[in-house]
Amino acid sequence: MTSNTLALEINSVTKRFGKHVAVDGLSLQVPEGSIYGFLGPNGAGKTTTIRMVMSIIYPDDGSIRILGQPNAESIKDELGYLPEEKGLYKKMTAIEILTYFGRLKGMNGRHAKSRGLELLKQYGLGDAAEKKCETLSKGMGQKVQILGTVIHDPRLVILDEPFSGLDPVNVEVMRELILSMKRDGRTVIFSTHIMPQAEQLCDFIMLVNRGKKVIDGPLGEVRSAGDHGIQIDYDGDGSVFKEVAGVERINDSGKHAEIFLEKGVDPQTVLQQLVGRISIRRFDLREPSLHEIFVRAVGGEVIDE
Amino acid sequence: MNSQQPNRATAAPGASKTLLVAQREFVENMRTKAFWIGIFIFPVLISAMMIVPSLLERAKSARQYVVVDQSGWLLEAVEQRAALPDLEKVFATALEAQRSESSDLEQLPDELRETAQQIDVALGMIREQQPGLAADPEEWEATEAKVIEGFASMVAGFAGTEGAAMRELLPAQAIEPLEQLRSSIQSWWLALPAEEASEYGSGLSKSRYIRVDADGSASDPNTLEELNRRVADGEIFAYLVIGPDPVSGEEESRYVSSNLTDDDLLVWFSRLAGDVVRERRLAEKEIDQETANWIQAPLDFRQSRVGAGGEEEAVEAQDFVRQWAPVMFVYLLWISVFSVAQMLLTNTVEEKSNRLMEVLLSSVSPLQLMLGKILGIAATGLTMVSSWAIFFYLATKYLPRFLDVDPGFDLSIIATDVRYVGAFLIYFLLGYLFYAALLVGIGSVCNSLKEAQNLMSPIMLLLFVPLVSMVPIGRDPNGILARAMSYFPPFTPFVMMNRAAGPPSTMEYVLTTALLLVSVLLVMWGAAKVFRIGVLMTGKAPKPMEILRWLRAPVGLVPERRES
Repeated sequence: MTSNTLALEINSVTKRFGKHVAVDGLSLQVPEGSIYGFLGPNGAGKTTTIRMVMSIIYPDDGSIRILGQPNAESIKDELGYLPEEKGLYKKMTAIEILTYFGRLKGMNGRHAKSRGLELLKQYGLGDAAEKKCETLSKGMGQKVQILGTVIHDPRLVILDEPFSGLDPVNVEVMRELILSMKRDGRTVIFSTHIMPQAEQLCDFIMLVNRGKKVIDGPLGEVRSAGDHGIQIDYDGDGSVFKEVAGVERINDSGKHAEIFLEKGVDPQTVLQQLVGRISIRRFDLREPSLHEIFVRAVGGEVIDE
Repeated sequence: MNSQQPNRATAAPGASKTLLVAQREFVENMRTKAFWIGIFIFPVLISAMMIVPSLLERAKSARQYVVVDQSGWLLEAVEQRAALPDLEKVFATALEAQRSESSDLEQLPDELRETAQQIDVALGMIREQQPGLAADPEEWEATEAKVIEGFASMVAGFAGTEGAAMRELLPAQAIEPLEQLRSSIQSWWLALPAEEASEYGSGLSKSRYIRVDADGSASDPNTLEELNRRVADGEIFAYLVIGPDPVSGEEESRYVSSNLTDDDLLVWFSRLAGDVVRERRLAEKEIDQETANWIQAPLDFRQSRVGAGGEEEAVEAQDFVRQWAPVMFVYLLWISVFSVAQMLLTNTVEEKSNRLMEVLLSSVSPLQLMLGKILGIAATGLTMVSSWAIFFYLATKYLPRFLDVDPGFDLSIIATDVRYVGAFLIYFLLGYLFYAALLVGIGSVCNSLKEAQNLMSPIMLLLFVPLVSMVPIGRDPNGILARAMSYFPPFTPFVMMNRAAGPPSTMEYVLTTALLLVSVLLVMWGAAKVFRIGVLMTGKAPKPMEILRWLRAPVGLVPERRES
């Protein structure tokens, strides 16, 4: 496959709910075989966009092409979708649910079952196959849901907030799953409001805020387009950064800080001012974080993270 | 890329996904307790209706009572009379044992065994002499009963007309051995303790009502005081005081008990005593029994019905049942339509609160999902209802015989009548589809059962109307009320079922059913619109007005995709 075939193409799509404009003239292109992140704060329009892509709701304006089709309905079997709100039939066993989801996607019953068992074993749930979902722990239930999304080996997987509510072990499982999909040549789109997760995984990203696209493109390009900043790992009192001359903005997280300088200020002078006042473990000049890019793009509006 | 997806069935067409959803619903429902309770509650109820009364009858404890008889003769006459039906039962039971040659026979006392043998011999003689009688089973049964009754009345000690009837039937050589047996069987019966009487027949009055002797004389006021104490202590159930001259009709007899609700004893005793007294009065005025019967004979009206062709038809007990059977069917229809549609509502709300809708909607369209659910639960309901129909048929056909109860006629004719069972199944399906669509629409907009119940209350009110009108319509199945209500689709299934005894004209069946079908389609269409929007809604349930707006909403919210 070549990167110029598109798994998904959205052209100036708008969706209104009454007077509220949830998605406003949004356009984007997702190349096949990539991992694409929809980033933005809660309520930015990520879920609405995804629902429109899945043909669960329909845009008021604009068009969507998914896997070359104008409508997801005709190719539902080639899509995998994990909605933001996740649930299982309480009275069905894990393998029954996987088989059912597989069959709904057009697999035959026997194949769906054997593939389901295979996946459960692979992700450490072999013993839970015959257990009813109401008896599974929360984490196990989430894994079953995720496996249900991919059991039919879809060409395009759309995951809405896949990491929310997962413990670190399951975050790892989720990441492994996304990466293995990419290795198999599948396309993965996921949404998140947690920037570092996207930075670790995505080939492409789109930042949305209040229904409008802020910026999109390959992750590297998006980042290099912004001003470089100084990344500092440190121990000590972070308030000293404010006293340093020539600093424009500081993103201080306590042990790590990102500092952006006014034009023409030499990073070396900053280092000199800091030496002796805090203990510095790392100091380098590099591309800005997605967080910084986002904050700058929306003009310093507060986003929740 | 598709080569990497082995075993993928050729893209599942819409219908098969709908069936897949239906299948899952069906299987899941089969696993619920409610389903199996639904399957079994009906047979249990029907059986209970047939069995419990006779069980209750059997379970009644023996009543001990005292009679203070100031007349000196009435009590004895009553006891003779009371013995007659008891002896008939005992002889009939013994005769059966004699014929089946079962081991029961050996356990019978000699007197009784001999009696059974002699009755059998006597019956054999009649059969030889009057083969015509024996040929007709109904008549033969009557003959047997007459002989048994005749001998029982001889033994009981009073010579009524029954004894005479037997003498007419039996040849002299058959009567003689019976005459010889009479005193021995009589003393056996009198000596038989009440507690053991039930071994020789069921439902004997001897074992139900046990008379104990009073101490002291009737005229002594202390005796009555003593009796009151015994009633209060529960030693005896009741006592009766009979005046010195009950025939005169000028004095009152008394019945004293601490429990006046259970009047079985009083009814039983007063009927026997009344018969005796009436006979005495007739004898006193020299009126023979036949004249008395003639005087008392009521003016009888024989009912008959004019059929559709103008010919007169005789009215039988079956017709009465046919007239009222629809009411029972309406009840069943109502319960099944309502409970199955309710199942659908609960299930939809649960699926919504389990946050499964969106996952499902990524694989199936809302219409497929809705139809699948409706179908799946229809299958559940039909399974339940058909199991009831089959049980009803089997129960009406075999249960009465099995329980040894005589229902008077064959109830199973109703169970096989298309007008009832066929209509029931069809109206169940249509009625269910109508209400299912309404409820699935409601279920789709609600996030909790409580919300759903609020929205359901107008529908509940609507559903109660056919219940209230059930009896008036059953009385006048082709009246104006019945006809008018038939054309209101929400009532059509119930009212048309209700009218089955009429029956309505074919034209009415066609018109009302067509109207119902059209409204089923309309409601389905509306439900699909509401479902589409409702299933994805969270938060507050919409107001009814808001739902109405959705129904009128043009494209945009409605699943019409504009192709670019």
